[in-house]
Amino acid sequence: MSEPTSLALAILALPLAAAVLAWLSAALPATKKLAHIPLILACAAAAVLAFLLLEKMLDGHEAHYISTPLTWFAAGHLQVHFTITVDALATIMLGMITFIATFIALFSSGYMHGDRGYARFFAVMSFFVFSMCGLVLANNFLLLVAFWEGVGLCSYLLIGYYFAKPSAAAAARKAFLVTRLGDTGFLLGIFLLWKMGGWHTDLDSLFSHIRDNPPESGLLTTACLLLFCGAVGKSAQFPLYVWLPDAMEGPTPVSALIHAATMVTAGVYLLARCAPLFVLSPEAQVIVAWIGGTTALLAAFLALGQTDLKRILAYSTVSQLGYMFMALGTGGAISPAFAVSAAMFHLFTHAFFKALLFLSAGSVMHAMGNVIDITRFSGLRKVMPITHITFLCGAAALAGVPLLSGFWSKDLILESLTEASESASPYSASYFVLLLVACLTAWLTAFYTFRAYFLTFWGPEKLPEEAGDHAHESPRSMTLPLMVLAVGAVVVGGVLQPFTHWFSDFLGTSPSLTEAQAPAARLVEHHLNGVLLAISTVLALTGIALAFVLYRHGEEKPLGGIDTLFALSRNQLYIDELYSALVVKPAEGLAFLLRVFDGFLDGLTRLIAAIPRFLASLIRPLQNGLVQFYALAMALGLAVFVAFVIFRVAR
Amino acid sequence: MTITLWHFLAVATVLFGLGWVGFLTRRNLITMFLCAEMMLQGVAINFVAFAFYHGNLQGQVFVLFLLAVAACEAGISLALFVSLYRRQRSLDSSDWQELRELGLPPAVDEEPLPAVSEESFPTLPPAGVRPQPTVGTEEVARV
Amino acid sequence: MTLLALSQTQESTIFVALATMLGIAGVFWLLPRPKGRFVPGGIALLIAAAAVFGTWLYQTFGQPMPDVIGSTLFWLFAAGALVFGTVLVTQRNPARGALAFAFVILSTCGLFLLLAATFLMAATIIIYAGAIVVTFLFVLMLSPSNAPSDENDRSREPLAGALAGFAFVGLVLLALFQTSMATQRDHLLAQLVTADERQKLAAAIAQLEAAEKALSGDTSTAIARDERLAAFEMAFAPVRDELAEVVGVSSAEQIQSPQEGSLPQRLGRWGDAVGEPEKLFRADISARQTLTQAATVRELLHQVPQKVEAIVSMPPPGHPPDVAAAQAEVRKLRDAVVILHGAGLLPARNVANLGYVLYSEHLLAIELAGVLLLVATIGAVAISHRKPERSSTNSPTPAPAQAEGVQ
Repeated sequence: MSEPTSLALAILALPLAAAVLAWLSAALPATKKLAHIPLILACAAAAVLAFLLLEKMLDGHEAHYISTPLTWFAAGHLQVHFTITVDALATIMLGMITFIATFIALFSSGYMHGDRGYARFFAVMSFFVFSMCGLVLANNFLLLVAFWEGVGLCSYLLIGYYFAKPSAAAAARKAFLVTRLGDTGFLLGIFLLWKMGGWHTDLDSLFSHIRDNPPESGLLTTACLLLFCGAVGKSAQFPLYVWLPDAMEGPTPVSALIHAATMVTAGVYLLARCAPLFVLSPEAQVIVAWIGGTTALLAAFLALGQTDLKRILAYSTVSQLGYMFMALGTGGAISPAFAVSAAMFHLFTHAFFKALLFLSAGSVMHAMGNVIDITRFSGLRKVMPITHITFLCGAAALAGVPLLSGFWSKDLILESLTEASESASPYSASYFVLLLVACLTAWLTAFYTFRAYFLTFWGPEKLPEEAGDHAHESPRSMTLPLMVLAVGAVVVGGVLQPFTHWFSDFLGTSPSLTEAQAPAARLVEHHLNGVLLAISTVLALTGIALAFVLYRHGEEKPLGGIDTLFALSRNQLYIDELYSALVVKPAEGLAFLLRVFDGFLDGLTRLIAAIPRFLASLIRPLQNGLVQFYALAMALGLAVFVAFVIFRVAR
Repeated sequence: MTITLWHFLAVATVLFGLGWVGFLTRRNLITMFLCAEMMLQGVAINFVAFAFYHGNLQGQVFVLFLLAVAACEAGISLALFVSLYRRQRSLDSSDWQELRELGLPPAVDEEPLPAVSEESFPTLPPAGVRPQPTVGTEEVARV
Repeated sequence: MTLLALSQTQESTIFVALATMLGIAGVFWLLPRPKGRFVPGGIALLIAAAAVFGTWLYQTFGQPMPDVIGSTLFWLFAAGALVFGTVLVTQRNPARGALAFAFVILSTCGLFLLLAATFLMAATIIIYAGAIVVTFLFVLMLSPSNAPSDENDRSREPLAGALAGFAFVGLVLLALFQTSMATQRDHLLAQLVTADERQKLAAAIAQLEAAEKALSGDTSTAIARDERLAAFEMAFAPVRDELAEVVGVSSAEQIQSPQEGSLPQRLGRWGDAVGEPEKLFRADISARQTLTQAATVRELLHQVPQKVEAIVSMPPPGHPPDVAAAQAEVRKLRDAVVILHGAGLLPARNVANLGYVLYSEHLLAIELAGVLLLVATIGAVAISHRKPERSSTNSPTPAPAQAEGVQ
């Protein structure tokens, strides 16, 4: 177990075993109630192993380890190996996934208590953790796709967990189909890369082949953008973000684990992993950055007017993911190691505070009898003190209150954008616009986050009827993860990065980042930019202050002229309706035409079928039930056959 | 001593064919059974003729097995006849045609059978008391 | 007999087709049905068909047996089997049909006897006699009286049935004819020793006896010895020719390419290697033994005259030549020829040998046949078993389950 790859394989195997155990436990009613135990134990053990692995990597001699290739299948000179890679990037992701999953599993054992599909829930959750770890570790595009689809499948199953509810089923279908749209591009991109990369499928050899034999830049940009398509789908970026808010139909722990902390970051991880490709194509980087910026601003705007607590958080997730893509997009102008570590650091801190926020929202929802509309309750400060404090920690971190983890990571992204706008890159103007967009988004984020906070926890105490006698603090199994994550959300950012640069230094040892050096890249030193820090502090505090002024009484008041803006935001800019008019309606018209055509074909088939039917009616009397008659037919047939044989031979 | 194989084969063939014709056309189950046995005899002649022609006993051994199979066939088929006769009170193979295509009318013999010229024997007038059914209602009801 | 200068094949086809047509028409007329049955016409047509068939058989294949008595018996038994078979098929009354079937069995048993299957003859008579007695019981029990009934007075598709059956017969007869023609060219149905060869071997045996006698006599002087040798040579020469035709050439040099039409050539395709043929048309033991025997005869045919000459012409000085030894050599050849002559005939003691074959080569099959009979008996009982509660409501006529009593 000393080899890093063996450790990684053990981390991979634990959740899989847990999935099988949870699945088997559904067989007996007695064991069904214990289905959460394998997941919690497996995640905890995996987290411990991940930290061991982290330690090993920290003082390790090599920057990355690749497991012995095991041929998965081979066709011609296409050899697909089953290999995993362990480097700093993967180690950080593994540690984060397993750590957060442990507490979310603990939380869900209380949250899902007594549910009918208890075993199913934990089996799929375990399988999700397995797939996610596999995705992180995969050193092969095909393996990556397999796990990529695995997490997609788990997401589908968990969004549609309450499959009897039509809206949940529809949301699951929507999530699956929309991400599928991006996956198509992803697959095409992989095929294109194969072709360019000398038919290597292993990531390291593929990247080095492409680096040594640079293909035509247009082709490479196409390939990068096709890969980015997959990331857009999975990480809910514009224009494919529409599935994520609907995905909140799933149980809240699912939203926390899959749709906030881990799965949606798969796209970011993919781009970080493929950084050696993207540095070769600055055009693709700019497009990535622009898509990220658009998404960040759009989602932040959409979050403004929502009244559904989970939807606000979902939009904020989309917005923060857009942030990360913005940071990734600067990789063409500045050192990719800096850009990627900015994105990964934000990913890391975001996972903590967003999981925390979702779990707190779940706690609220649990107490309010599954009511999540923030206009229907207020003043929960007294009712749920622990949840209140933890939510406040998460919200402050998200808003970028100084010294909390969100502040530091957001600051790093702003810094990377600033550096990019000052670089010699031909797209520096774009990066400057994006910096402004990022600042605006940061302000909006602070505002809407605290709007939700004040509406929920401040003002006079108001409870919905559904809450009944549930309206009290959640059980210990739910509050404990909240507290742990709250501590994480507050301190993890400050400890790891701003003064020691530990995070970016460690991440920078990843071979994919050390090797990826853009030709025109500007080397950036990690330093604390005082102006930026001040700007982001001001932005966060003014946003919070505005929210305090407007919503401190725990209820929404009409705001005159800006109300239309809020209505627009609440209706999600009518984008679903736009998609419906542009895509769904024409498809329905086409389907109608096809149905008419199908009816025509059906008639044709029936006409063709009528001919043998008619012929059959002629010979049906032969089937008269008289066995002797059958024997006679047989005899005549035999006579004909013998005649054929004999006269053929005679001829 | 030598023989010509072909004579025996030809006779066996004709015997087989006659049995076949009988099996295909006759409707009495017992006659059909005898015709089938006749076909087996034709085959047996074939075997024995070849045994003689080749100068070994394999053909005769085969005929012994054929006899065993024929005996089994006789046992089973006569048992079947008994149980079929119990159902239909007849040995006519055409009584059994339920396996025909759905909706098809059953095959019915159209030409009437020749009338029997009943010889009229003298009958005695009934004497004494007419016997009454003793068991009574149950028997009548069943009829 | 050549009609209109037709080839033999065409002639046969016409004959068989004619016999088949006549047979179809005759059986069609004879088959029982309410209307359209014409018995005298049917009988006449069937007699005509039988006559055509017999003529064809005789003309194409000749006599069935070498002797007159055998041939007569064959025709008698064949005619009996076919006539009574026709009666069985066309007879309205099933009881009479069963009787006709008994005669069919007797006739086939006669044919078995002609084919030297004595045990089978006895077994068939015993088994089928039992079967027929039981069948009679069934007929008497189950058939109504003489009154017309559906099953006895009607036939299912008489014309098509007769057509199918006789068309098949005609076609098989044509196939027989073709095969018999092909046998002369190819090696289909290879017989170990043909009648022709057997005659030659018989003649050779007789001449070898004569040659042996020719050696005995005065051998005291050289002149007398030369006379004896000349006489021996004269008697032996035809033997050499006849045997050479049967077993191949007599000289050792040409042993690898046997003479056209000889026994080894007929039975096997000659290989490259010396000795055994590469491939036998008949791969059974008796064929191999016969080939070995033929090789022995060939060797002896080559050696015996030399040995005889050596013994007779060059006696040890001071002694008369050892005539007995020379005669022993000749007798050795004769014995070998006698064994070859008997090859390909059924072994004597039919019952003993049949039993031996059954219990040595076919033991498993015999056991299986026994199991089959047992299962059939149990099956027959199960099928005809009447359940007690049904018997009270069912017909009063008892139907004893004697089916298994066939055995």
